[in-house]
Amino acid sequence: MVNKYLLLAFSALWVIFFLYAWSLSWRQAHLGKELEELKNKVGRGRPSDSRPS
Amino acid sequence: MGKILSPTVHLFVTLAWMIVAYWMIFLYAPQELTMGEVQRIFYIHAPSGWVAGTAYCIVFLGSVVYLWKRPPLADDLAHAAAEVGFIFCSCLLVTGPLWAKPVWGIWWTWDARLTLSFVLWLLFVSYLMLRSYVSSPGRAATLAAVVGIIGFVDVPIDYMAIRWWRTQHPQPVIAGGEGSGLDPRMFLTFIVCVGAFHCLFSYLLMQRLRLARARRELSAIRRALAIRPSED
Repeated sequence: MVNKYLLLAFSALWVIFFLYAWSLSWRQAHLGKELEELKNKVGRGRPSDSRPS
Repeated sequence: MGKILSPTVHLFVTLAWMIVAYWMIFLYAPQELTMGEVQRIFYIHAPSGWVAGTAYCIVFLGSVVYLWKRPPLADDLAHAAAEVGFIFCSCLLVTGPLWAKPVWGIWWTWDARLTLSFVLWLLFVSYLMLRSYVSSPGRAATLAAVVGIIGFVDVPIDYMAIRWWRTQHPQPVIAGGEGSGLDPRMFLTFIVCVGAFHCLFSYLLMQRLRLARARRELSAIRRALAIRPSED
């Protein structure tokens, strides 16, 4: 039978790593969304910018 | 490094290295006679500590370069290393008590090595809290760089603690002088684990740096857009 402390230590390690990897990918996705919103805003602003004066 | 090694290849190398390390931990390294199975925690506990030390060295170097020449990349590198180092230092502090309890009969003791490792974790926390709570980015970077430089004092003392003082923590088995040492198969397993953990660290560091760069670019675009109406 596997020692419970050994099992706990190895599990804890991977839980910590996966939580961090998840947090990184969440932040990257969030940033991507923000960039997309910004692009849309700029896109909406463009026709008025090109309006003849 | 991103240009030398693509993120996918880097991730693949890390995973392959980790699989080899795990195979060595459970199937190649012999069982320690007095502690038994639980001693295998050593192969994840000690490399976590080594990586935490490496991470703080990067925080220190990044901070020195940032205060000296002010390149944003040095600040991003120090910040990323502090965040990833905090993760590995947390692993060190979680796996340590899980090894100590069955071997020493206690979860924790305030001996020099354990206390200095806890101080290292607190330094990572302080660095990251400073980054979050100071509202001006330039001021936060400068203050964090000062913490990164002053806090570096802890790293060599933490490394030497088990050599200078008698501690509850075991005496060094790597570079510990006469009478210390490991079984050759244990030593090889340990070296492979240190490599695998450093590979994982470098992968996470690169991902965190990409995030920092993207964030910096996004704020630059925002600033440019905010300036544009007044220019027109």
